[in-house]
Amino acid sequence: MAIGVAFLLGAVILYVAGADPIVAYYWLFHGAFSEVSFSETLVRATPLLFISLGLAVTFTARVWNIGAEGQFYIGATFAAILGLYLKDAPHPFGLIILLLASVAGGVAWAFLPAILRAYYGINEIITTLMFNYIAIYTVSYLLHNPFREPASMFPETTTLPEQLWMPIVIPGTRLHAGILLAFISIPFLYFVLRKTAFGMKIEILGSSRRTAEYAGIDAARLIIQSMLISGMFAGLAGGIEVLGIQHKMRLEISPSISPYGYTAIAVTLLGYLNPILVAATSIFLGGVINGSMTMHRMANVPVGMAGIFQALIIIFIMVGYYLEDKFANKLLERLNLW
Amino acid sequence: MVTELISGAIYSSITLLTPLLLVGLAELLVERSGILNLNVEGSMLIGAFTAFMVAYYTQDLGIATLSAALAGVIMCMLFSILTVSLSLDQMVTGLAMNILTIGITSYLYRASFGWYVSPIPPHIKETIKPIGIPVLSEIPFIGDILFKHMPHTYVAVILAFMAWWVLFKTDWGLRIRAIGEDPQVADYLGINVNSTRYILLFIEGVVVGIAGSLLSIAYYNMFLDNMTQGRGYIAIALVILARWNPLLLLAGSFLFSLIDAIQLRIMALGLTAFPSQLSLMLPYLVTIIILLVAGRKAKGPAALAKPFKKTR
Repeated sequence: MAIGVAFLLGAVILYVAGADPIVAYYWLFHGAFSEVSFSETLVRATPLLFISLGLAVTFTARVWNIGAEGQFYIGATFAAILGLYLKDAPHPFGLIILLLASVAGGVAWAFLPAILRAYYGINEIITTLMFNYIAIYTVSYLLHNPFREPASMFPETTTLPEQLWMPIVIPGTRLHAGILLAFISIPFLYFVLRKTAFGMKIEILGSSRRTAEYAGIDAARLIIQSMLISGMFAGLAGGIEVLGIQHKMRLEISPSISPYGYTAIAVTLLGYLNPILVAATSIFLGGVINGSMTMHRMANVPVGMAGIFQALIIIFIMVGYYLEDKFANKLLERLNLW
Repeated sequence: MVTELISGAIYSSITLLTPLLLVGLAELLVERSGILNLNVEGSMLIGAFTAFMVAYYTQDLGIATLSAALAGVIMCMLFSILTVSLSLDQMVTGLAMNILTIGITSYLYRASFGWYVSPIPPHIKETIKPIGIPVLSEIPFIGDILFKHMPHTYVAVILAFMAWWVLFKTDWGLRIRAIGEDPQVADYLGINVNSTRYILLFIEGVVVGIAGSLLSIAYYNMFLDNMTQGRGYIAIALVILARWNPLLLLAGSFLFSLIDAIQLRIMALGLTAFPSQLSLMLPYLVTIIILLVAGRKAKGPAALAKPFKKTR
């Protein structure tokens, strides 16, 4: 229903702009969920999925890490730059080292805001946001100066040799092993959040820091841990995007109209912080992003439309949640019983 | 020479502080009532966009400013319908609306000027100019620094004092603060929580829209995609730095803009040893340092960003 309203409103905007909404929508869906394009939708969904899984952990603790975008950039850059020095590393080892490097990058970038929040009570929304800008300018410096590929017109690093790439899962598509890693992470995170002492502590911390402290939980440590976990996933998402898709670091690695790091925040919250719902939401939004690119190419609709669509869908899904509050509550209860 | 450098830096920092102070003040009042509006970023952007478009087609900066205010109000009213009336999550709504605004503005910009943005983007001929206050601007040194600014700057500074007075010296301010601390109790006491929040968000729309318009019709004479570049977020950081106090916000935004002005001067010198990216990231770095020094244990309104549903 909610999505229907979003599309109806989108049709009006398309019509006003002089495009034929029916043609445009045909390409949107064709580009998102048809047989040929579904693999590409999963490719789009992979970074969203990783980032939002990590965010589900911090958000459960009510720690608002908005810095996934920066952590993603730094993770991606770590992998792309270290890869230049590991050109001769044999196949699986080089790849594994680079993935670990991207994790380290994400964790490093989440570290300072985590410490500031945990020990000094400094609002993490603002620090992580500022860190996003700092990350992007740092990466921009690295790509313009020391690590620029001289033969390229754009600020980007040299393409990595093929033995460092993520293996392709389905031949003929860009679908790489990253999606398998993502699918493994979903049940893993579900288990961690719902079935372990750590997940329980995080939930208590999320409901009230004071309660957590009465219960003998080291809140500061837990805040740092949860931030680092989401940094880890965001960094890994960056590394996987570089090694699986781009094979080099570019400044536009995250689509400027719908940056992965910010879109993932919405994905996480729309998925009720539940890894399974989060996965479904990221695949759906991956489809919308991918479909609107096709719509842009085939129906001559400008790229800004992708952003409008996503935002409309997010807003209307939220309104839908409100209208279907009772239904949503029942759903939540059932999920908690699992 | 040295005095000229100092007065130049102070002058441009006062110019730069105007949008930050305006946005910060509006957001401060709204946050005092328990609403965290991350969409100030988007409202600024739509203000900048609307002002530019109207100025481009009418050549009238007054009408441009008014329409920027209107655009800001529309954004903030949409935000309040979603968060105040429907009690949706304020952070998600704010972030989603920011994505929406970036999409809408860059889409409409291309829809009016063509799909390709040329190296020389469309621009307007006239921008908002500083005006000197009679008599006061004649005072040597001080007059040049303090009394030759855009009208917005004077208004912003006066608003800072007014906001402080309203917040701490009037009944209405007391009510705003009560709502921000505990909307449930405020509701029992007969304060209309939602309508107060609506009024504050309406004011925020006007102020933030106009603050955004400064970017495209005063500092620059053109519109660029996502040209606010996180200024709305910086304003929110400054509100925390100021501990939700309008007068501290005035001081804080001046300090911040001073550093920004010095940074711009360094960049203008064109030192090659000093990468431009470092210059560009300086405001964000400074925001972090400011929070580190002054933001420790800053306690905001207790009910900030918590959805409130009236229980019957």
